[in-house]
This record gives sequence, structure tokens and C-alpha cells, in this order.
Amino acid sequence: MTIINCMLPFGLVKDFDDYSKIVNDILKHDITFNILKFSTGSNGINLLIDIPEDKTKTITESLKQNNIVVNKKGRVIIDDEKCIDCGACISLCPTDALHLDKEERLKFYYEKCIGCLLCLSACPRFAIEEM
Amino acid sequence: MTKTYNEINEKIKNGDVVVVTAEQMINIVEDQGIKVAAEEIDVVTTGTFGPMCSSGAFLNFGHADPPIKFEHLWLNDVQAYHGNAAVDCYIGCTRLSDVKRFKYGGGHVIEDLVAGKPIRLRGNSYTTDCYPLAEIDTEFTLDEINQAILLNPRNAYQRYVCAVNSSDRTLYTHLGKLLPHFGNAHYAGAGCLSPLSNDPDYETIGIGTRIFLGGGIGYIIGEGTQHSPTNQFGTLFVKGDLKQMSPEYLRGVSYEQYGTSLFVGLGIPIPILNEGLAKKTAISDAELFTDIVDYGIPRRDRPKPRRINYEELKGEYIELNGKKVKCSSLSSFYHARKIAETLKEWIQDGKFYLNPPAETLPTDTVFKPMKQTTKIKFVKDLKRNAIICHDDCDLKTIAEKIIDQNLNHIIITDLENTLKGIVTSFDVTKAIARDKTDLNDIITKKVITTTDNEPIDVATRKMKLNNISALPVIDELNKVTGLITSEELI
Ligand code: SF4
Ligand code: SF4
Repeated sequence: MTIINCMLPFGLVKDFDDYSKIVNDILKHDITFNILKFSTGSNGINLLIDIPEDKTKTITESLKQNNIVVNKKGRVIIDDEKCIDCGACISLCPTDALHLDKEERLKFYYEKCIGCLLCLSACPRFAIEEM
Repeated sequence: MTKTYNEINEKIKNGDVVVVTAEQMINIVEDQGIKVAAEEIDVVTTGTFGPMCSSGAFLNFGHADPPIKFEHLWLNDVQAYHGNAAVDCYIGCTRLSDVKRFKYGGGHVIEDLVAGKPIRLRGNSYTTDCYPLAEIDTEFTLDEINQAILLNPRNAYQRYVCAVNSSDRTLYTHLGKLLPHFGNAHYAGAGCLSPLSNDPDYETIGIGTRIFLGGGIGYIIGEGTQHSPTNQFGTLFVKGDLKQMSPEYLRGVSYEQYGTSLFVGLGIPIPILNEGLAKKTAISDAELFTDIVDYGIPRRDRPKPRRINYEELKGEYIELNGKKVKCSSLSSFYHARKIAETLKEWIQDGKFYLNPPAETLPTDTVFKPMKQTTKIKFVKDLKRNAIICHDDCDLKTIAEKIIDQNLNHIIITDLENTLKGIVTSFDVTKAIARDKTDLNDIITKKVITTTDNEPIDVATRKMKLNNISALPVIDELNKVTGLITSEELI
């Protein structure tokens, strides 16, 4: 099984039920799959799902056609040497994986990262790397 | 109560000066009142660390043998400005590398230089009798050149705006990556630690003021360009010796699809000469306001949905149109605080003395817009009539219209003229080749559009970014009012 994250960006969410688009789209492929996590963030609705490995490609492609953003479950790492604690990545993160601590330094909660990669191109120091 | 610079410097010398940061001053004034604070506190330190695009350095390399007078030169493939004496140059932080483009620029060259890394220098010349060398390719480090002077014509903005994006695509701006439909917000500036917010009347900050700059000592040499103190957008012109500075406080940065810049660390000590200054330096984030600006509108005068204070900006979410929008900064408050603390230690340790300005800075200038002698053109000036088919028509009708009108784009609307999609001559050709007969098989429903009042350059950029050659023009109700194609733009 492969874990992927599907995101329906808020711009496309016109209706509360729109998240069902993601599920309906996958059901078309006639497979069983596990929903691992459902969350809403500042950017849209996220669904973390576990699907059969051999179907990953077809499912990903059909989801993408409906403007759903799909990421393979990967996570990012932050290079502390390069990070200057500016915070430019934080507002992009749909979960609270990126955070400023009490001292105003960047903290990264690995467990909260869903691998959406939205933060990647927001970092002006190339301190965020895809794993 | 009043104090003089001499009295404060005497205390620094004796080691009994009382210094606090502008952040600490807030509580001191709140607990003890302005009068006591003004008596007890001698100096308040400030700090800011953020991208300051108006930064760069003058370098002098010394003469080669035989000598060269540069016409063009590059430092690590980033072109430096040369328009003065033979071996002087100015490397600006936003200049992109010819090779790495957005990934490396003048700001990175300055960081690498200060970090002691070798910098490759390539240059050429048209040659003269006194400067016969035509080309050079060499390497140098900071220690090996004569002067390296950081000279930034506009630093330390008193405040900056908070950017959001109402459009339907992600924007890459000088305020970072902005998600569509108000998906996030970015701001910059240190709020209560911002140097100019702590002396907004320029009582102590002026020409000659000694400051913390890039980890070393620098000086204010005038008001910055675009200095606009009347609306709290004051700026400073600063200089300092790069050889004393540290790469911790000069960091090259690259904003995706926007360009490079330099994070500059800057801190100013404010002598508490009177009660007024004690009060001003106690300003809090809640009292410092800026505007939220919608970058979704690519014009000089962008909509400003509302005012907001730094206290709300520093919380994780801001409120906009009844929605919670995730907000973060582009400048580092951690480093701003560290700068204010470092400056405080320098003064306490007797390593840094305060000086009165040689001259004060103007407090009444305004930032004028550019004078444009050619009128800018709008979509409404150049649009043509759109050729329209209704969404129930067949492909043959569309094909006929394409031929009759000699146009590549047919706009599909409903009976009320509401935009439904677009069909190109290529779509029709494709349909014939693939035996498709239904309009639904070939229509593009997600259409990129423009409006009457969009500047032509903005429409052109939309076409370029999306790799298309026409945009339907629509009104607020999504009704089609015309078409603009790349032909009109030539
Ligand atoms: S990839 Fe980045 S933005 Fe996405 S969840 Fe992980 S940390 Fe947050
Ligand atoms: S954007 Fe990059 S440099 Fe800034 S806080 Fe995030 S990881 Fe650090």
C-alpha cells in the first residue's frame, strides 16, 4: 500500500460537500482504501489515504484532472544551518508542522507534516528539503 | 528631566550605563511610569533583520598588471555595476546570477564574501593606453581586496505592509509565496523593536548616527530613498565596513520566481534624553499599525482591505472578511531581538558609544509616484469583438465562424452571454482528426480571462504564463464583452 495526500484547494471548495469529490473519484477505481487522516488547513481540505500500490498512478492522474493536488506521502526536513527563522514557510503549512517557538525560532513537528510540499518553494534559504 | 549624550557616554565609560531593549522598555514604562523610566534608563536598543532589497557593496580590487579598466565584470557570475573608476564596482543584492538565475544573486555574493569564501572575479575591458588588459579571470577573498563597503540606500523601513492575494492563482512576490483566495498572509518588520518606530520624530536618529550594521559598526548617512516619514514609511541610507561584519547578519535569500535579496541585520541605540523619548521607545506591537494590501491586483494602488496592528500580525492567524487567514512574517524576530541584545551588551561593555547626529533627517518628505510620459494602455483600449457561439451549437457552426471571421478563438456563452468556455481552431482540427462531434469533447471550460480595466502588460503576462494567445474580456457578472489576442498586443 502507498500513502498519498490529496488536497482540494479552498479556491475550489464551493460547497461543504465538495470534499466528497476526492472520495468519489477514488471509489470509481473500485478498490478498498483507508482514510488515515482528514483535516482542513488554511489552503484547503486534506485527505491522507492509503491505496494499493499498483493503482497509485491511475488514481493520482484522475485526481489531478479534477484539480486535486496529490502528493506522495513524503515529508520534509529543515536544515537548521540554512534556516534564518524568518517564518516565510509557516503561513503555507496547512497543518501546524511549522511553527515559531517561544524564542521565535522555527520548530518543525515531523509527525504533523503531511508532505504537501507547499512550504518548499516558500523558503528563501532553500532550507527545506524533500525527503 | 533631560540627559545629554556626554552624560550617557560618561556612564558607558564608567560601566554604570543602564541599557534595555525596546521590547523590555514597554514593561518598564508600564510598571514604573514614564518619569522614572526616563531617569533610570539611559539607552534603548532596537533591532531588525529582514530582506532589504536596496542593499549592496562597493568593492575596490586594486590594480592588475598590466592594469585593467573594467567595462563589465562578474562576481561568481553575478554582474556587478561598473560605471566609475577602473577597479571599483558596486554589487547589488537583487542582481541574479547569469548562470544560476533565481538561486543565487548579489546578496549571496555578499554573504559568501563576508563568510571569507573565495569569490571568482571575471571582467573585460575595451582597453586604453593606460589600461591595456582586455580580460581577467581571478579569485579573491574579503581580506585580499582594498575596500568593501556595505552601502544601502534604503534600509530599515519603519513598517511594511501585510500582503494577501485575492486572485485565483498562487503569486510569487517580494512578500513571498501568496496562496490564492486569501489562503495566507505575509508581513515584514520587527514591530516594537523596529528602529524608526522607536524614534518616529527623528530626534536622535540622523546623519552620522553610529549603528549596528550586519554584525559590525555602521553609520546612517542620510534619509533612505523613498523616505516617507509622514505616513510612517521612513527609511535610512546606511553604510558600514564589510570587513567587520558577520555572515550571521548578512544572509543572501532567493524568493521563488521573484528574485534574490539580502537579509540585513540593523540596530539603532536610542539615548533617552528626555521623557518624550522614554514614552516613544515604549511603543508596543498593539500601537503599531500597517495596512493589509491585496497583491491580487497588479497595480501601484492596490486595494487595502483594512488596517492591522503588529500584535495581531504576530499571532498565527489574522481576521480577514470574516475568515481566519494564516499569517507569518518574512523577517526574523528572533534575530531582531538578538541584534537589540547584542547592541545592548556592546554598550554595557563600553565597546560602543553614542553620538548626536551631525544633521537631522527630513520629517516631511513624501514618496512620489513615477512620472510616466507614455499613457499606459488598458484592455478596453485594444479589445476586439468576440466571436460568440452558444453552448448548444455544433462543431460545424464553430468551424464556419472560424473561417468567416478569420479568427482562431471562438467564445462559448449561454443565451445570457455568460462565459462558458473557449474553443480554438486547433481544438476543432483535433476533433476532426479524432472523430469527435460534441462541443463538450473539445471545449476548454477553465478559461483564463481579463477585464476592461486591466493594464495590457498584465494581460500579456497572463497569456505568457499560461502559454495561450487569447483572453476573453468579461465584466463583474462574468458576461463576455470582448476578446483580446496576442495579435492586438504586437
Ligand atoms: S510539507 Fe511543508 S507545508 Fe506541507 S505539511 Fe509538511 S511542513 Fe507543512
Ligand atoms: S522559510 Fe526557510 S529560512 Fe524561513 S523559517 Fe522557514 S525554513 Fe527557516
